[in-house]
Amino acid sequence: MDQSKIRNFSIIAHIDHGKSTLADRLIEHTGTLTKREMEEQILDSMDLERERGITIKAQAVRSMYKARNGEEYMLNFIDTPGHVDFTYEVSRALAACEGALLVIDSTQGIEAQTLANVYLALDNDLEIIPVVNKIDLPSADPDHVKREVEDVIGIDASDAVLCSAKTGIGIEDVLEAIVAKVPAPTGDETKPLKALVFDSKFDAYKGVVLYVRVIDGSLRKGMKIRMMATGAEFEVTEVGYFKPGLVNVDSLEVGQVGFFAASIKNVKDARVGDTVTDANNPAPAPLPGYRKATPMVFCGLYPVENSEYDNLRDALEKLQLNDASLVFEPETSTALGFGFRCGFLGLLHMDVIKERLEREYGLTLITTAPNVIYEVFRTNGDVEMVDNPSNFPDPTVIDHVEEPFVNATIIVPKDYVGAVMELSQEKRGEYENMTYLDESRVMIHYALPLSEIIYDYFDRLKSTTRGYASLDYELCGYRDSNLVKVDILLNGDPVDALSAIVHREKAQVRGRQLVEKLRSLIPRQMFEIPVQAAIGNKVIARENVRAMRKDVLAKCYGGDISRKRKLLEKQKEGKKRMKQVGSVELPQEAFMAILKMD
Amino acid sequence: MKPYEQIQAIYLHTPFCVQKCLYCDFASYACRDASVMERYTDAVCKEIASGGAVKLPVNPNATIYFGGGTPSTLPVECIAKLVDALKKNKYWQEPAEATIEVNPGTADLAKLKAFRELGFDRISFGVQSLNDTELKTIGRIHTAEEALQAIAWAEEAGFTRINADLIYGLPGQTMESLRKTLEQLVETGIEHISVYGLIVEEGTPLATLINEGKLILPDEDTAADMYELVQNFLKEQGFERYEISNYAKNGQYSKHNLVYWKYEPYAAFGAAACGFDGASRFTANEVVADYLSQTQEAVIYNEENLSNEELLGEFMFMGLRKTSGANLREARERLGIDVMERFASEMEPFFQKEMLRYDSEQELLFLTERGMELGNLIFEIFVTI
Repeated sequence: MDQSKIRNFSIIAHIDHGKSTLADRLIEHTGTLTKREMEEQILDSMDLERERGITIKAQAVRSMYKARNGEEYMLNFIDTPGHVDFTYEVSRALAACEGALLVIDSTQGIEAQTLANVYLALDNDLEIIPVVNKIDLPSADPDHVKREVEDVIGIDASDAVLCSAKTGIGIEDVLEAIVAKVPAPTGDETKPLKALVFDSKFDAYKGVVLYVRVIDGSLRKGMKIRMMATGAEFEVTEVGYFKPGLVNVDSLEVGQVGFFAASIKNVKDARVGDTVTDANNPAPAPLPGYRKATPMVFCGLYPVENSEYDNLRDALEKLQLNDASLVFEPETSTALGFGFRCGFLGLLHMDVIKERLEREYGLTLITTAPNVIYEVFRTNGDVEMVDNPSNFPDPTVIDHVEEPFVNATIIVPKDYVGAVMELSQEKRGEYENMTYLDESRVMIHYALPLSEIIYDYFDRLKSTTRGYASLDYELCGYRDSNLVKVDILLNGDPVDALSAIVHREKAQVRGRQLVEKLRSLIPRQMFEIPVQAAIGNKVIARENVRAMRKDVLAKCYGGDISRKRKLLEKQKEGKKRMKQVGSVELPQEAFMAILKMD
Repeated sequence: MKPYEQIQAIYLHTPFCVQKCLYCDFASYACRDASVMERYTDAVCKEIASGGAVKLPVNPNATIYFGGGTPSTLPVECIAKLVDALKKNKYWQEPAEATIEVNPGTADLAKLKAFRELGFDRISFGVQSLNDTELKTIGRIHTAEEALQAIAWAEEAGFTRINADLIYGLPGQTMESLRKTLEQLVETGIEHISVYGLIVEEGTPLATLINEGKLILPDEDTAADMYELVQNFLKEQGFERYEISNYAKNGQYSKHNLVYWKYEPYAAFGAAACGFDGASRFTANEVVADYLSQTQEAVIYNEENLSNEELLGEFMFMGLRKTSGANLREARERLGIDVMERFASEMEPFFQKEMLRYDSEQELLFLTERGMELGNLIFEIFVTI
């Protein structure tokens, strides 16, 4: 097909502004799938994605659309992950497009995530088409939203498309706008192959399936390709596009979006952002923008049963086949035994991996509280990156410590500005600036320690603004911080997995909160358990879990022996989910206590 | 023949009560219809004649226990018919003990005399508390005075072996009220008392009232204080604790219940009644109407075949309830399991904390007093998951 008839686009939206529903309607309207084949929100295919209502992996769909001008167009829709953890993946998916639909809920207006993604799209020179969604709702105010788009983003919204993805109003107008406004690709079919990898997934039969956009040249079955970042070479075994199921074809031509497989065993060899070229006729330079995803959040994953260690390793290896941004390495904890220190792109990424390990691999895990990676400068001049609080060096050998900061964008109704600033200040934020988006809404920028975001910043933000605030952030480097390690002792013995790095000024309060929380989480046991928080040798807080006084079946006669046996079995089963640390049995929640304090 | 190869006890269930107590989740129904009771009596007689589910020889001294529900709601003629059926079918020969449960609210002197004449030599009263407010709160049909009166009548009727059940941890109960209940009860001179901590069973009206905040239970620590009060008080009064919740003076143990704790076979008759032959448990339908229709043909029992591990678990947690301990020699002979060897590492911390004690000569394993308080932690060792 002639490049001039190809339109590659993605959809940008804040969570719940209707991206998935709109995608469903476009697919339905173009007849790509029959109504019967349409499952609701077909693009979010992983169970977890549906439950959480977010997209974790990118997806892509090719639709053929006969426009009002009588011509037929090939529309390639590339879906993007909808969470700040996956900003890099979003930027690569956008780089595979020429245009983006900016979907805004006509009852809500612009939110922080909308903005972050718009800027990503502008960075990639995308044509942006404002789409005002949910116009069927009584509280819809499309004119207000249009004005906001013009004022805040600075793009013309006079011919924004009005639609309701839910009812189907305006869907054809959206399609026409795509045809009319998204530029056609302008690659050169005679040049050597250059294709951008914007996602990959592991398939047990095909090996790694790479999602690509052909920029120049063409990608054919049987050709030998090279991954320009890794240098690895493979022979293409399959080429095709998504409908959204895989449909095989002989080649992907210049400007097209699709997939290929090449018996690649590991997604590490097919990283998002890499450039695919012809091994026998390579392009002189790769596409710009490639970087290796770096984990920002770390936690320890330990099997409750030590015997499950090997199973956990196997499961992590399998997940890593499909997720090159997941990193892990073995670690040992005196409290928890053998496990892994795992690095994630963010908290959501961590939760998803954890849930998949438990759900898909049937593991029972203890997760230690997540932490960021600290840069510790020793007095002897050595610098080390510490991703585990228990490896934090003794204060006497530390010159200073730096921790990662993010640039946070918060959008909030103006009545909550005070509350947001108070909270951000409390969270050690550094105020940067504030702009009025309109007469009622404000955009505030703060530099905040990433560790505070992980801790409870977002939850607190949501509650102090009664859910009105939206937040987005990006890493902006390391800054000096006065940090100390708080250790927790149970029964007088330090439990390494419960250590936390906190700001010195907050150490006292956090220590006290933490022991109080642990006291309420640790079930009473046969003996009294002192719970202490300490910095170095100095105990800063103490609580006692009092000894259990009585736990015995009162009554047991001939008729209810079975029932009583089952009761004991159940109680025993419940304890299996606890971790024996020294002589103390700890429930899983204890390890996350630091995150669950009020 | 080994004791565990013979029926050592016979249980007969009456699933009727004047009114169901708020905490009760047993098989019992509020019923005052004499014709239903007569039909039920005939059905049980039929079941007895059929030989029931437990097919083992009957020890001529097997104990008899009429439990419920409230057996004393049945008209005396019905009880007489049931006793007769047991005798005719050689279940009731020369019982070492014959107990009938009586709700004090259903007792009168004539009835108790009749029970004595039928051959019962032991009465178990559901007293629960001697505080009228507490009794009312949990839906008992009698007052404290009626309970004391019933005990007096039982003595007058010629019963020397009398038990009273008590509950501690009741809504509104205090240490003082519990102490007063214990004092008054001991004053009657009865020689057996069973004391249970209240268990709020799911689905009972009591559970609903507590969940809705309409009733408040004593907190965990007060309940533990109450438990200690019961131990200390009864000990001072010369009662021996021979099982976790059972106390007797002058060796007046419940021989029938000891059969359960020794894990010996027992036969059972009536709706919801549960018999045990040493390897399997047989439970009759607990819905009275179904039980009645089934007995026209043959009672269908819900049969639970226990694995060797399950048998061992039950043998242990039942046996350890007695202060006389669990007989590990018998465990080895009956089930082929050497408990000291198999559970050595799990038991070790409990020996260290002096919660378990072992008499290697007699091969008896005991819970110490502290062990009894936290018995479940030890029982869990022996159950399989």
